[in-house]
Amino acid sequence: MNIYQPLLTTVTEMVDETVDTRTLRLEFQDEAVRSGFDFKAGQFGEYSVFGAGESTFCIASPPTRDGYIECSFKSVGKVTIALREVNKGDTVGFRGPYGNWFPVDDWKGKDVVFVAGGIGLAPVRCVIWNVLDRRDEFGDVTIVYGARSVDDLVYKRELEDWGARSDVKMVTTVDPGGQTEDWAGEVGYVTPVVEKTAPKADNAVAVLCGPPIVVKLTLPVLGQLGFADDAIFTTLENRMKCGLGKCGRCNIGPVYVCKDGPVFTAAQMKELPPEF
Amino acid sequence: MSDRLFISDADLHGLAGDLIGAGTEVVAPVATDICQSPSAIAATACTLDGSKVDIDYRALASADEMDLSRGLPQLSLKGYFLPEHEALCRWKQRGITVEVEDVPTEFAPRVVLAAKPCDSAALAVVDQVMNWDYEDELWNGRREATTIVNLTCPMIDDSCFCTAVATGPDDVKGADGLLTPVDGGYVFEPATDKGRALAEAHKARFSSHVEADTLGRQADDERAAARSRVAANLEIDAASVRAWIDTHFEDPLLSQLAIRCNGCGACASVCPTCHCFDIVDEEEGVGRGTRRRCWDTCQAPTFTLHASGHNPRDDQHVRYRQRINHKFAIYPLKFGEVLCTGCGRCTRVCHAGQDLIEILQAIDIAARRPGDATAEPEEAAS
Repeated sequence: MNIYQPLLTTVTEMVDETVDTRTLRLEFQDEAVRSGFDFKAGQFGEYSVFGAGESTFCIASPPTRDGYIECSFKSVGKVTIALREVNKGDTVGFRGPYGNWFPVDDWKGKDVVFVAGGIGLAPVRCVIWNVLDRRDEFGDVTIVYGARSVDDLVYKRELEDWGARSDVKMVTTVDPGGQTEDWAGEVGYVTPVVEKTAPKADNAVAVLCGPPIVVKLTLPVLGQLGFADDAIFTTLENRMKCGLGKCGRCNIGPVYVCKDGPVFTAAQMKELPPEF
Repeated sequence: MSDRLFISDADLHGLAGDLIGAGTEVVAPVATDICQSPSAIAATACTLDGSKVDIDYRALASADEMDLSRGLPQLSLKGYFLPEHEALCRWKQRGITVEVEDVPTEFAPRVVLAAKPCDSAALAVVDQVMNWDYEDELWNGRREATTIVNLTCPMIDDSCFCTAVATGPDDVKGADGLLTPVDGGYVFEPATDKGRALAEAHKARFSSHVEADTLGRQADDERAAARSRVAANLEIDAASVRAWIDTHFEDPLLSQLAIRCNGCGACASVCPTCHCFDIVDEEEGVGRGTRRRCWDTCQAPTFTLHASGHNPRDDQHVRYRQRINHKFAIYPLKFGEVLCTGCGRCTRVCHAGQDLIEILQAIDIAARRPGDATAEPEEAAS
């Protein structure tokens, strides 16, 4: 079995997050793989529909849940449209886990602030559950999540679960105009909502992921709140094919997103050449 | 050097014949007059005077096809290790069940005779990325199964610059031995166990060791002459070129140097070190197919295009910058050597006239410019 050969998984659950975003739960078909598979929060994989090809997404479920992995994707290209056509019981290929991870173990005893926009919640969700599954190891947990509209919020059931927990400060927001009549959350872009929520930066780390504009505007706000550049973590994405550092397309200057990333600190991002 | 053997021209052809006879694939430069080709596409390339010779590395049907007198083959040896497209796995689907079938990662032995030193050196350079943490068994399998014998370059033209990028026209990097033309034949110098094993297995074809006699001196002179012919083409300070590229990501010089490039990607196809690839599924009837990797090029706009429509390299000069960066700054940073062996094919093939020698000279001059942060100190006046 060469390094490009996928493992086989079976689709066991499907959830439509939004009109175009779906989450699949995948179980490895091989018993030995199923029990031996291990990964860390933030790593990614190459998911494939045989005949359509491979596509790169983070593993959206936490490593603390054994026996399955989940991915969330928006149907925009050949593979993601084909992935949307699979049903429960169908076979999906998977290669991984690849890349580095969020250093969750180093955050023990610290407050953790999560900031996500749109589908950017997928990689953050993995870390959120990883932290919540080990809740007593961490300090305060704050989640600020925003989407364009109420319909565009992903993981709606989990947003409610997190909001209902007394040990999580959950702030959900939608862009102005995206609210419904019975919307009880915030109305406004993610960045000003983070500013208003003002999580304390003392002994804290921040995890930030979202569309480039959200990341770009929120970084200075976290800085003003007192978060040091090496206490802000994000995950980058670039087009990939191999995920193994060979196919040559995900690099930003000398940094290969597939092997040096996808998780970077704000300090590392500032060192990157302007090409992402 | 007591390791040096002599092989006559007839015996070299005999060696190729022995190998072919024993069922070993022998790859060597073959010259074809494409005007004689029945292919309509080839005929369009035939010049008015009715003769155009193509040189290619081909698997020999007979030893007579081997032509050792010519310049660089059109394509490098790359395709023998990273084929233009190759199967990564095959699948069969029946209902909801999918079976994935391995592809072999062990290959039949193959011997390359009269390889160009820039082509074998490129394989050694690419070995590094193919073994960067994850080992590419398909590449490694072909590398292990192949014995490569280089030939000191008989023809060097204006686009060759191997000596400027740490290799040379008589280098054995990535190869198992070297042939150097001398009167009546070649001096053979094995460089690895595989090379020694080849000579040992075909002892009768080689005559006694070449001491520092006439033939030995002739080989040394031939090698030195080839090196100095190439060295006259380009001389750069590789370290300062790399430092300049590293620190001048947005320098307008890089976009000026890209101005003629229209992104056809021919340079990547002919390049012996360009190894970027795409992975695609190819359906072969209902419920079965092959996952393949295919050569790709960073010069194509779709290479880095995100599904969202965002493209981090959205302009041709940015894509050309990536080519220069990857070869002369990123790869050296990761693996300690440049991703270029100076074969000059990219220059020869470019229909727009992008000339890598000119480009490297321009960067070298910029790197030495007074006042530049990365410039070399001015030469002492006295």
